[in-house]
Amino acid sequence: MKNINKFLFTIAIIALSTYCISAQYDDYLGAGHDSGITVTTSSEDGRSRARNTINARGMDADLIEISRLMSQATFGADMEEIRRAEALGMESWIDEQLNIPITYLTPMHWEIWEDLKLQYEIAFDTWLAYYITELCQAADEDPNIDPPNFSQSEVDAIKELYLEELYGPYALHFNFAWSQSMLSSDDQLRQRVAYALSQIMVISAQSDLGENGESLSAFYDILLHHSFGNFRDLLLEVSLNPAMGVYLSHMNNPKAIPEQNIHPDENYAREIMQLFSIGLFELNIDGTRKKDLDGFDIPTYNNDDIKEMARVFTGLGPSDTDPTMPHITWDAHFGLGYYSANKTEPMIMYPEWHDTGSKSLLNGLEIPARQDGITDIEMAIDYLYNHPNVGPFIGRQLIQRLVKSNPSPAYIARVATVFNDNGFGERGDMGAVVKAILLDPEARSCEEMLHFDNGKLREPVLRDSEYIKVIPKYGEKIIYDVNFSSYSCEGIEYTGDTIVVLDNLRLWNNGFNFYDAVKQFPMMSPSVFNFYLPDHKPTGEMAENDLYGPEFKIHDTSTAINYINSVYVHTAPYYDVAWYNWYDWVGIEDVKFDFSELSAIYQDDPEKFIHHLDIVFTNGQMTDDLKNTLREFISEVPQWYTNNVPYVPVKVVLYLMMWSPDYTIAK
Amino acid sequence: MGHHHLSRRKFIGQASCAALTSTTLFSTLANLKFMNAASISNSATLAGGDYKALVCILLSGGSDSHNMLIPTDTNQYNHYQTTRSSVAIPLNQINQLNGVDYGVHPSMTGIQNLFNSGRLSFISNVGTLLQPMVKDEVYQYEQLLPLGLFSHSDQIQQWQTSLPHERSSIGWGGKIADLLSAENSNDKISLNISLNGSNIFQTGRNTVEYSLDTEDGAIGIYQYRSEDSGDIGQLRDVGVDNIIDANYQDIFKRTYIDVLKTSRDAYVEFSEALDGAQDFSGIFDDTEVASQLEMIARTISAREELGMKRQIFFLDMTGWDHHDELLNSQEAMLNELSRAMSQFSTAMDMMGTQDCVTTFTSSEFGRTLTWNGNGTDHAWGGNVMVMGGPIRGGQIFGQYPSLELNSEYELGGGGIMLPTTSVDEYFAELALWFGVSRSDLRTIFPNAGNFFDVDTAMPIGMFK
Repeated sequence: MKNINKFLFTIAIIALSTYCISAQYDDYLGAGHDSGITVTTSSEDGRSRARNTINARGMDADLIEISRLMSQATFGADMEEIRRAEALGMESWIDEQLNIPITYLTPMHWEIWEDLKLQYEIAFDTWLAYYITELCQAADEDPNIDPPNFSQSEVDAIKELYLEELYGPYALHFNFAWSQSMLSSDDQLRQRVAYALSQIMVISAQSDLGENGESLSAFYDILLHHSFGNFRDLLLEVSLNPAMGVYLSHMNNPKAIPEQNIHPDENYAREIMQLFSIGLFELNIDGTRKKDLDGFDIPTYNNDDIKEMARVFTGLGPSDTDPTMPHITWDAHFGLGYYSANKTEPMIMYPEWHDTGSKSLLNGLEIPARQDGITDIEMAIDYLYNHPNVGPFIGRQLIQRLVKSNPSPAYIARVATVFNDNGFGERGDMGAVVKAILLDPEARSCEEMLHFDNGKLREPVLRDSEYIKVIPKYGEKIIYDVNFSSYSCEGIEYTGDTIVVLDNLRLWNNGFNFYDAVKQFPMMSPSVFNFYLPDHKPTGEMAENDLYGPEFKIHDTSTAINYINSVYVHTAPYYDVAWYNWYDWVGIEDVKFDFSELSAIYQDDPEKFIHHLDIVFTNGQMTDDLKNTLREFISEVPQWYTNNVPYVPVKVVLYLMMWSPDYTIAK
Repeated sequence: MGHHHLSRRKFIGQASCAALTSTTLFSTLANLKFMNAASISNSATLAGGDYKALVCILLSGGSDSHNMLIPTDTNQYNHYQTTRSSVAIPLNQINQLNGVDYGVHPSMTGIQNLFNSGRLSFISNVGTLLQPMVKDEVYQYEQLLPLGLFSHSDQIQQWQTSLPHERSSIGWGGKIADLLSAENSNDKISLNISLNGSNIFQTGRNTVEYSLDTEDGAIGIYQYRSEDSGDIGQLRDVGVDNIIDANYQDIFKRTYIDVLKTSRDAYVEFSEALDGAQDFSGIFDDTEVASQLEMIARTISAREELGMKRQIFFLDMTGWDHHDELLNSQEAMLNELSRAMSQFSTAMDMMGTQDCVTTFTSSEFGRTLTWNGNGTDHAWGGNVMVMGGPIRGGQIFGQYPSLELNSEYELGGGGIMLPTTSVDEYFAELALWFGVSRSDLRTIFPNAGNFFDVDTAMPIGMFK
C-alpha cells in the first residue's frame, strides 16, 4: 500500500498536461483524474511531471494512446510492440501495416497438416505401446481375454488402420492455422480487418464446410488478400468462392426448369444485397436512413429484385474435382456435389445452366439477354459496388468491429467519403477506409473517448487472443523412446523425456472448447447473420438510450460466466496451459504461459505491475475502483507467496483484470 | 437426496400442477412478492395460480413443414406431388394420422403416436400477417405486408415479437415475463429460461432470460466460494465480489456487469434446486435438442424449490435452411425432433406435469413448394406443432389450403403459401392459456384485433 501513498503525497506545482488522455475528472482521483488537486514535487526529471504522477499517467501518455490503437488494430500487443509502435508513430505504424507482406492461412494450414501427419506417424510406436499396455491390463482383469502377442504383419496392419484414423484437415486444422497466424504474424492490422470482414461476409464451419479446413482457409485468404484492396474485387471473389457457393447454395444453382417446378435459388441473391453490400434501406452518406415523402424508410430492393438477382447467380459450378481426393477419376461438372468438388478455386460458369434471359432489377439496372454468365455477375457486382449505400453500410460495420459500437453519423460520413473517393479518385479502397477509421478524431480524441455512448464490449475472441498473445509462452512436450523386443506385455520398454520448446511454438488452439464456452470463434458463426447483428441493442438502459451493442448478444448469464471460467483456466494458481492440447500424445507441445517477467515486475513493485497491466490491457483506462480492488488483494496476500511463488498472486490479479468491465469494455 | 425426495416427487406428481406450500414463501421478500402476485391476480391479469410452463422450440432457418405435415387424400396428395415434384414424399411412406386426411414425415413416428394418442395437434399454414389477406391484396397492397418478407432476420424476429410491422427486439415471451414475473416467489431467477442464450422471444423491457448450459445447467464461477480454494482463493473471491458489486458510471460497463451479477446470484439457488431435480437418465436421446428438453424437464421438476409458478422456456434447433440436401437433412432432423418431443412428453407424464406444460414450435417461414434442384427456398406460411395435456390433441387446426400452384392461397406460382392463420392468433392463444389477461393481450399483440375479438374469442380453440 505504500505506493498509493507515495503517489498521493508527491509534491510539486506543474503545468497542465497537453495529452489527450489526461482528461479532467472531478469525481475521483487517479486514472487521469486529478482536477482540483494541487500537486508539487521535490524532484522532476526529464519528461516526468508530478501531475501525471498523481493521475497515474506518468510519462506513459503516448504509450497509452498507442495501446488503445493496438487494441483496435491488432489481436493484442505486448509492451515491446507498443513501444515499437510508439517510436514509429501512429500513422507510420498504420502505413507499415498497410504495406507489409500478407500472412496467408492456406500455406500455414497445409504446413500444419503435413507436420501433424508426420508427428502422428512417428507417434505410432508410442500409441502401440499404450495400446498393448491397455490390452494387457484388460487381460489381467479378465481371465477370458488372452494377453496380446502381435506378429510384425499384424502390427503393420494395425499401423495402416492407425494412419487412416487421422481425420482432416477439417475445421480443427483451420483453427490451428488461424491461431498460429493471429499469434505470430506481423501483419496484425490486416489479420484484424480480415477477421472483421469474416463477420460481415460470413461462411461458417458449422455447416458442411466444417469438414474441409482448406475451404475455410481459402475463403479467409480472400478476405486477407483484399483487406486493404478494392471492395469490388473482394465482393466478386467472395461471390465466386466455392465455400460461399456451398454455404449460400449458389454453387450448382440451375436456371429455372418450369416443367419440374425448379426455380433459381434465392439465397445468395438475397444475402449479397442484405448483408454483404447495400443492406435493406437506402442510406444517406452518414448511415441514417433516407425517407420517402411520407416519412417512411425506402427499401433498397424488393422481392422481384431478389428473383431477378437469383437468375443472375445461376450456372456457377465447381471449377474442378477435389485435388486432395486422388480416387476421384471423373470430371468436374455442373451439379457435382461438394464432397467431390474443388473447394478452393473460384467456381466457373456452366453456360447451359445459366439463365441467359435479360434481367431487370434494382432501380432500372438492365442486364441484357444472351450475355456470358460471368459478365452478368460482374454487372450485378458493379451495380452493388457503386451503390451509395456501400460506404456507410460497410464502413459502419468496420467501425463497430474495430473501434466502437455507436459511431456518430459524422464519423460514418467521413469514413464513407473515403470509401467513395480515397483522395486519388478511387472508390472502394479498403486500406484508405481502414486508415480513416483508425485515425478519425472519434477513434482518437479523449473528448470522444469519455462520451457516454463511446465504447464496445470487446469480443470474447479478442479478449482471449490478446491474453494469449501478450503473455510470454513456452512449449513443453514429452518425447517417448519406445523399444519393442516383442509386441507383447513383456516386450515393451520405453522412456519419456520432458522437453522444453522455446522457439517456433506450435500455437494450435483447437478453438472448439472456447466456442463451446463463449459461443464465438472465427468462422464458427451459427448462421450467415454472424454471432450478432450490427443493430443489436441490449435489453435495459442501453436499449432505452438507443445504444447498439452487438457483442452483448453473446453475453448472457451462461456465456458471461463461461468466459470468466476460461480466464480461470489461463490463470489457475498451478496450471499454465493456454488451451487443451488435442495432440499431446503425438508429441505436439503443450503451450504454457511464462509468468516470470510479470512476476519480476510484481516483486519489484506491485504498483508498477498494476500500471503495466493498465497500459497493455486496459489502455490506460483502469479505474481507481479496480486498482483499489487489486491493491486490496495484493495487500492481503501473505508475503510468503510474493517471495516464493509470485506468479500465484500475479495470476489472480490477471484473472480479476481480464473479466473486469474496465477491460472487457473498450473505451 | 434419497428417500424423502423421491416420495415428495411422487406427491407432487399426484398433486398435478397445484403449487405446494413452499418454504421460500415464508421469507419476507417472498411474502412481498406473493402479495404482489395476489394483487395482480385480483386485477384479473392472471387466470389461475397453478404452475404453467410454455416451451418454445424454434426451428430456425425456416423449416420445410409441408414435408412434415402432408395431405394424404388422393386429390390433395396429387397436388402436393405435382407441385413438389422430386422433393415430394412418396405416399406409401407417409405416416398416416388417425381421423384426418393427413400424415407426417416418415421419420416422425414419435409425433404420429403423440397425435394419435391425443397429446399433440398441428396448426396449419401459420405465418406473419398484419391482417387477414386474400391473394389479390398481397399483390396490391405492399404496405400491408410484413416487413422483410422471406428474409431470415426479419421473419425470425417477427415470429418472436409478433410485430410484423416493425423491427423490434422485444419478444412476446419477454413482455409476458414483464407482466407475470411477480407471480414467481423467486426474484433472482428469471421467469424466462433459455437453452440457447440471449434471444428476442424472451427479451422484455425489464426481462432478461436466464441462460442454462445444456449439459451443466446453471453455470457458476469456477472455484468461487469453494471450500477448498485456500487463502488465496478467499482473497480472490473478495476481489470477485468487489468487481461485480461496484457501481459503474459507464453504461456499457453496467450492462456488462448486470449479467454477471444476475448469474452469480442465481447460480447457487439454481444449482441447489437442480441437485434435487428428477433424474431422467435413459429417457432422452443424446442429441442436442433432446438434451435441451431434458434440461428443461429437470428444471420443471425443480419448480417448487425454485419458487416458480410461471416459466417460459426457449430452445433453438438450428439448421433448417435447406436450400440444398433437403430430403436427407430433413429425414435426420425431423427424426431427432420427433423423438425428443415424445421423450419430453414421457418425462412430463413421469412427473405428472403433463397438464401444466404446453410445448409449441416456431419457424421463421415455410419453404417454397417448388424446388431449386436440390432444396427449397424461403417462403411464408408453414405448419406448426402444439403439444401437451392442455391441448385438444389429434387435431389439425387452421386451414390446410390446396398446394396446387396458382390455387387460392398460392402466391406467384413458385409455391409460396399465403398464411391463413396469423402468428398473432397462434401466440395470443398460448398467452391466454398462460394467464395473460385480455387487456394485456392488446398491448402484447397490437394487431390481434384484426383477426379475432380480443375481448372474448379464442382464435384457434386449441386448448381444452
